[in-house]
Amino acid sequence: MTVPAINIEHLRKAYRTGTVAVQDLSMQVQPGDFFGFLGPNGAGKSTTIHCITGIATVTSGKIEIFGVDAVKNYREARRLIGLSPQEFNVDTFATVTQIVDWMGGYFGMNAAQRKSRVDMLIQRFDLTAHAKKQFRELSGGLKRRVILARALVHDPKLLILDEPTAGVDVELRLDLWRYLQELNAEGKTILLTSHYLEEIERLCKTIAVIAGGKIVRQGPKEDFFTVPGGLEKAYLEATGHKVEHAAAGAA
Amino acid sequence: MSDVTIPRHMGINWIGLGTIIRREWSRVWRVPIQAFLAPWISALMFIFIFGFVVGGNIRLIAGHRYVEFVLPGVLMLNVVNAAFLQSTSQIYFQRFLRYIEETLVAPLSYVEMIIGSLTMTIVRSVVTALGILAIGVAFHATHMYNIFEFLFWIISVSIVFGLLGIIIALWANNFEQLTMLNVFFIAPLSFVGGVFNTVSMLPPWLKWLAYANPFFYFINGLRDSMIGFDEAPPYLGMSVALALIAVLGLVTWRLFKIGYGLRE
Repeated sequence: MTVPAINIEHLRKAYRTGTVAVQDLSMQVQPGDFFGFLGPNGAGKSTTIHCITGIATVTSGKIEIFGVDAVKNYREARRLIGLSPQEFNVDTFATVTQIVDWMGGYFGMNAAQRKSRVDMLIQRFDLTAHAKKQFRELSGGLKRRVILARALVHDPKLLILDEPTAGVDVELRLDLWRYLQELNAEGKTILLTSHYLEEIERLCKTIAVIAGGKIVRQGPKEDFFTVPGGLEKAYLEATGHKVEHAAAGAA
Repeated sequence: MSDVTIPRHMGINWIGLGTIIRREWSRVWRVPIQAFLAPWISALMFIFIFGFVVGGNIRLIAGHRYVEFVLPGVLMLNVVNAAFLQSTSQIYFQRFLRYIEETLVAPLSYVEMIIGSLTMTIVRSVVTALGILAIGVAFHATHMYNIFEFLFWIISVSIVFGLLGIIIALWANNFEQLTMLNVFFIAPLSFVGGVFNTVSMLPPWLKWLAYANPFFYFINGLRDSMIGFDEAPPYLGMSVALALIAVLGLVTWRLFKIGYGLRE
């Protein structure tokens, strides 16, 4: 039996304020999948990702990454994951090279491994001219590229991208889509959240919709296209919105 | 890469630990004047005032010139300040700019994260102390009685205030809270801890405060290491420092383990 890349069972996350962001969430992501994680703002997408990656503590439930318990054996689990978060979480006075290199260091890569990998990623994301610039000096699109390069520096088996194309221009978005498809074709498992349905439709093989902290629909992408209106209609129905809104918006 | 086990010796991610230290080294070198030059200039001013202006009018204390008596206390104040500022700023800015998440998502243990933060705190404190010592020796304001005891006090006190700084930085939600401990606790206790006077100069009803004040033992110990003058058994002071390290270390480790101030 194949070990899932992500196995979440009955995840619950309540904040100290009492807010329950995720309740009884269970889902699986298979190895090699390109998994779309959809939901409205505040639905629990980022919280779920934070629980998987260790940014948030888990109130109850189980999370396994390729069979490794993400709470009990967190160090082994985390080396398998690369995260590109929704918000920029970097030392803004550090240079592009430092940001990517330090992340490689945290993951235990030696100097030679880091040099080769950092050079490759800086070139791949067209950051060579900006390598010595401080993060705060970069434009929004360039910042997003740095965050993606940082997520990939240790060549993780599982890549988690939380709205990676928010605020980036069309060229970068298309380039990024191509690159993500290449990575997925090479066998990397990708979990992607996005508010762009077109992006999910184009890239993902499996889709899950979360609303109110629970998975309300999950299945192969094709299942979301069995009725007229496609993914947009299926998404709005799953999240409890009136479908007429979509039609009015389209008109 | 992800299939390769992280190189660890004795269960420690040494490269990860070294990276935290490299990052903090780089951060300190963005503000070298604030980090190193400011305490050295401040010590130079103390030597000038107490050595050449005020000191000439004050009688010897236990056979030592006043500047010799005061300088260990001044040095200790600067070490405390350097340690506290280094550790609060590094943890608080990581939280404030959210790049603490870089280490939270990495395969680093809580102990590695704490040791990484403390190492740079110790380095900054030792450099500050050696600079002030060199200035003191150059101006004939001090000498070295026991270098090993000197290093013990600099390192142990920097660990105590490094740990205290981490705890405060985890708790603080704004810059004002970050400075509260310094204003209401560190500064008052350090000034009544015997920087400028001996315990015997205090009125009898106030002497208990000196003996109950950890700063007294720190300053007394450092003074013993520099000029060979002490007012309390050195091993008592060392025990106080080691006990504080143990307690604060345990509290810090526990806070990291439960994610207090770190994880959502």
